[in-house]
Amino acid sequence: MTYIENIFVCIAAPLLVTALCMGKKHYPAFSFCFAGMAACLLSAYINTFFARLYSADIINATTQIAPVVEEIMKLLPLLFYLLIFEPKAEKIGAAVLIVAAGFATFENICYLTQNGAAQLSFLLIRGFGTGAMHIVCGALVGLGLAYVWQRGWLRIAGTAGLLCAAITFHATYNLLIAYGGTVQYVAYALPILTIAVGVGAGKLLKIKPYH
Amino acid sequence: MVELFDNASQFLATLLAGIGAGILFYKSRKQAYFLLACFFGTYSLATLYWTLHVLLFNQTPQVFYVSELGWVASSMFLLTLEYTLSTPEERKFKHPAVWLVPIICVPQLLLYLCHGDILFNLLICGMTMAAAWYSVRGLLYARRQSGKLRDMQYFHIAVLCICALEFCLWTASCFWVSDTLTNPYFWFDFLLTAALFALLPATRKAVGA
Repeated sequence: MTYIENIFVCIAAPLLVTALCMGKKHYPAFSFCFAGMAACLLSAYINTFFARLYSADIINATTQIAPVVEEIMKLLPLLFYLLIFEPKAEKIGAAVLIVAAGFATFENICYLTQNGAAQLSFLLIRGFGTGAMHIVCGALVGLGLAYVWQRGWLRIAGTAGLLCAAITFHATYNLLIAYGGTVQYVAYALPILTIAVGVGAGKLLKIKPYH
Repeated sequence: MVELFDNASQFLATLLAGIGAGILFYKSRKQAYFLLACFFGTYSLATLYWTLHVLLFNQTPQVFYVSELGWVASSMFLLTLEYTLSTPEERKFKHPAVWLVPIICVPQLLLYLCHGDILFNLLICGMTMAAAWYSVRGLLYARRQSGKLRDMQYFHIAVLCICALEFCLWTASCFWVSDTLTNPYFWFDFLLTAALFALLPATRKAVGA
């Protein structure tokens, strides 16, 4: 049994002290990081609950339950931020990415505690693959939200649509990982390639993402 | 094998159309192209997930259909696109022919409710019916216009074809014949792929109208 709430406390404590030392200006960034890690913690519980409820095996839970729960949980702190603070478009993207990075970091730490840290090469591939996948989903939602939240009536349909897109991307990644073999390495490469294509196209076409 | 080819061709067609819509959005910054790119993007992602699941595990998802979320999202984007492209006069336009949509679709919806998931069927059929309603109304309105405004009819015809083929597809899936080309399901799906791809030039005409 892994006591992930204890792990959460251990990781959050030094970050909390650092946030207090760095001052109010840096509170939002740390808050998003905590929110991402807390979302990951709660996702683990909710995933287990639904897996038991539907008597799902590990493959079905990974490919069909986890992506839905995790992406919804990642979106909740952002919805709170968008509805309460009504930030400018430029700030939405950064907030989404920090939440995604917090989520991915905490997920990797939990993976390490469960599976050990002996195989550096595999952990390196997995770390970059899963980390990049959460960042891709975050970027997809973040860039989309920055656009749709400037257009009143498009907010609800746009947010729901972007969430579904992120869930489907996440589920496709998990599906390839769950299959194993060579296919899982394709999955690990997929998010990195997506980021590379996205950043490359953005620079090549000189796209301003928040306009 | 036929199903795999069918799904793969639909994924490729929607992916290409999505890239095309993305390029048009980059060039013109028009909201209609953003919505169209989102429509194709979500549709192609959902189809990719479904195709990979069938290909790798030789079965459809057992607990939760993630792809359905993508298809619901794409319907949402299509509806939003129709609303964006319509004019205030078009929204006020009334014609009795639009009632044909619920008359044809509701009995089919009842059939799907007997065969499958209630919530998803209500959601996806409701949105497809709404899209069909808008497209019939838009088509009748555009046919009464002259000049460039008449070009809107191509967009509405494309959306109407997509909606009609979706319903044919779902009805055919309730009476599964075989996994070969004798099954009308595959023919409807190939036609749907063509209709989906045709939505890109049709939207281009509508945006220019």
